[in-house]
Amino acid sequence: MTTPDEKPNMIEFRDVQKYYGDYHALRGINATIRAGEFFSLLGPSGCGKTTLLRTIAGFEDISSGAVLIDGKDMARVPANARPTNMVFQSYAIFPHLSVEENVGFGLRRDPRPKDQRARAVAEALEMVGLQGYGKRAAHALSGGQRQRVALARALILKPKVLLLDEPLSALDKKMREQMQVELIRLQRQVGITFILVTHDQEEALVMSDRIAVMFEGQIAQLADPETLYRRPNSRKVADFIGTMNFLPAKVLSEGPTIEIEAEGLGRISLAPDQVMEATSGEGASIGFRPETLSILFDGQATSDREAMGTVAEVVYYGDMTYYDMKLDGASVPMRLSMRNVPGRPVLDLGARARIGWSPGAAVLFR
Amino acid sequence: MKSTSLKAYTIAYLIFLYAPIALLPLFAFNDSRVIAFPLSGFTTAWFGEMWADEQLFKALKNSLIIALCTAVLATTLGVFAARASTRYRFPGKAGILGLIMLPLVLPEMIVSMSILVILLAIGIPLSLFTIILGHVLLCTPFAVAILTSAFQSLDRSLEEAACDLGETPLSTFRLIILPLVMPGIISSLLISFTISIDEFIVAYFLGGNQTVLSVYIFGQFRFPTRVPAIMSLGTVLVGLSIVLLTIAEYFRRRGIARAGGKDTGGFL
Ligand SMILES: Nc1ncnc2c1ncn2[C@@H]1O[C@H](COP(=O)(O)OP(=O)(O)OP(=O)(O)O)[C@@H](O)[C@H]1O
Ligand SMILES: [Mg+2]
Repeated sequence: MTTPDEKPNMIEFRDVQKYYGDYHALRGINATIRAGEFFSLLGPSGCGKTTLLRTIAGFEDISSGAVLIDGKDMARVPANARPTNMVFQSYAIFPHLSVEENVGFGLRRDPRPKDQRARAVAEALEMVGLQGYGKRAAHALSGGQRQRVALARALILKPKVLLLDEPLSALDKKMREQMQVELIRLQRQVGITFILVTHDQEEALVMSDRIAVMFEGQIAQLADPETLYRRPNSRKVADFIGTMNFLPAKVLSEGPTIEIEAEGLGRISLAPDQVMEATSGEGASIGFRPETLSILFDGQATSDREAMGTVAEVVYYGDMTYYDMKLDGASVPMRLSMRNVPGRPVLDLGARARIGWSPGAAVLFR
Repeated sequence: MKSTSLKAYTIAYLIFLYAPIALLPLFAFNDSRVIAFPLSGFTTAWFGEMWADEQLFKALKNSLIIALCTAVLATTLGVFAARASTRYRFPGKAGILGLIMLPLVLPEMIVSMSILVILLAIGIPLSLFTIILGHVLLCTPFAVAILTSAFQSLDRSLEEAACDLGETPLSTFRLIILPLVMPGIISSLLISFTISIDEFIVAYFLGGNQTVLSVYIFGQFRFPTRVPAIMSLGTVLVGLSIVLLTIAEYFRRRGIARAGGKDTGGFL
């Protein structure tokens, strides 16, 4: 990971509001994106990710607030004069032009002589692994190849910021994983700020330096992937990023540490950074990721803490087994995942087992 | 059972549609002034007679001028309307589009008479220009319909991509939009041209002393001896239409192939 704190700001949103008629699509976006960062906008469908991305590109006027690119207010700068380029979800490859003409389209206003521009096109094609494809008709390409053409076309202008709107969603799983790796490699190679829109949390976690999680036109949390995963600041974020188990809890006392009583787990003391002020209205609850809980098999040493429970559901995945464990004294089952190593049995429904857990892995929402 | 009756129906339909047209060349080359079977012999005299007819050529020239101007004007207006209706939202859009399409269903008789009344009232003399006005009114709805579908199938993000890559709205239109809707534009030109060239009512009412082809042919039918020459003229026109349609279809297919789309039959 980069050392982000030294890097200057590339994009700055200052209380950005956007209305479509009566519909309030962006509700006060405040955020900064640093130069050279791989940044993701993550959120469910309709939360305003595309809208926010398009305000950077200049395709969407904002109702109030400001968008700054490299310190300059973009209010009066049209899309064709902004230092950004975009990879569209549909790729938007010009169907009547060849691969070469598509990639070189942005160089039409380039003053360099023709052979230098041709070399730039060839280099761009090579960068995305499409050398030799220049003369092909654009419509005769596969999905993955179109994507590469779109990337080369956007990168050839050496923009300050590359905007990507769900660039991988049209590809099949294998191709998608391959392109994820290639995008990361490309971003490191060119050092340009990448802003990726996605609704796939795994994709965001894999690729990004930092992620902004959006719900209903607002940024719910902006953090690096690890913080987002380990310390989600609300139950909603926790639910959107991976799986989290919640147990009802009661706060007993607050001091340097916070003492709580959790259903099925008893008294726990938590550090202040484990406590999230989330106004869910459901009362306090404590959350654990499935892999922070484990079943303790016979003879296995006691981990930090232990609780007893009953297997309420078993889902066998080959390399992993997922259990829903009902802790004694708890009202809801906890999902946990165990790696299937040789010699370790898969428990049956209704079996009793010891559950190991650690207070350090917990997050309290209240 | 079902398929044989359908086949019979199709054949009957095609005969009904094309038999009269097939008769045109038959009588155009028939060595008799009377249009009746049995055929008496082969001649090309009627083509010679047609060729020598100066009035005919004057009418033909008028028709071509009108049809060309109409096709260009109606298509230009159609491009503007189609672009506006597919890209922009503005108050009263549905109503305005409805009014543009209205001449499609208005009786031509009424349209041409009302135009005539207005022209006479404000003192504009009848000429080729007034016919063109009437024809543009008739052809614009067709042009709008054809071009709207062409513009609608255009992916919005193509324009945005061009703009993103530094092009102005004007150069985007020239470099991206125009080439992609070109098949639609050619269809529109062709349809407008075809409608205009065989249009009779407007040309008859608004032409003044200028005669166009359709009005001239109608006039000639009063003289039975002129009919074979008209037949030969018809033969030439059918031949030209086939050539024209073939060219247009060629361009349409090439356009689709270049744009990578699937051929869905098209307009022609
Ligand atoms: N041009 C528009 N006119 C009116 N409403 C719009 C327009 N564009 C977007 N919206 C609305 O704004 C909201 C946010 O849209 P946006 O496209 O930004 O969502 P998104 O997060 O990108 O979703 P998805 O994952 O489905 O692409 C949606 O509810 C959408 O209906
Ligand atoms: Mg979107």
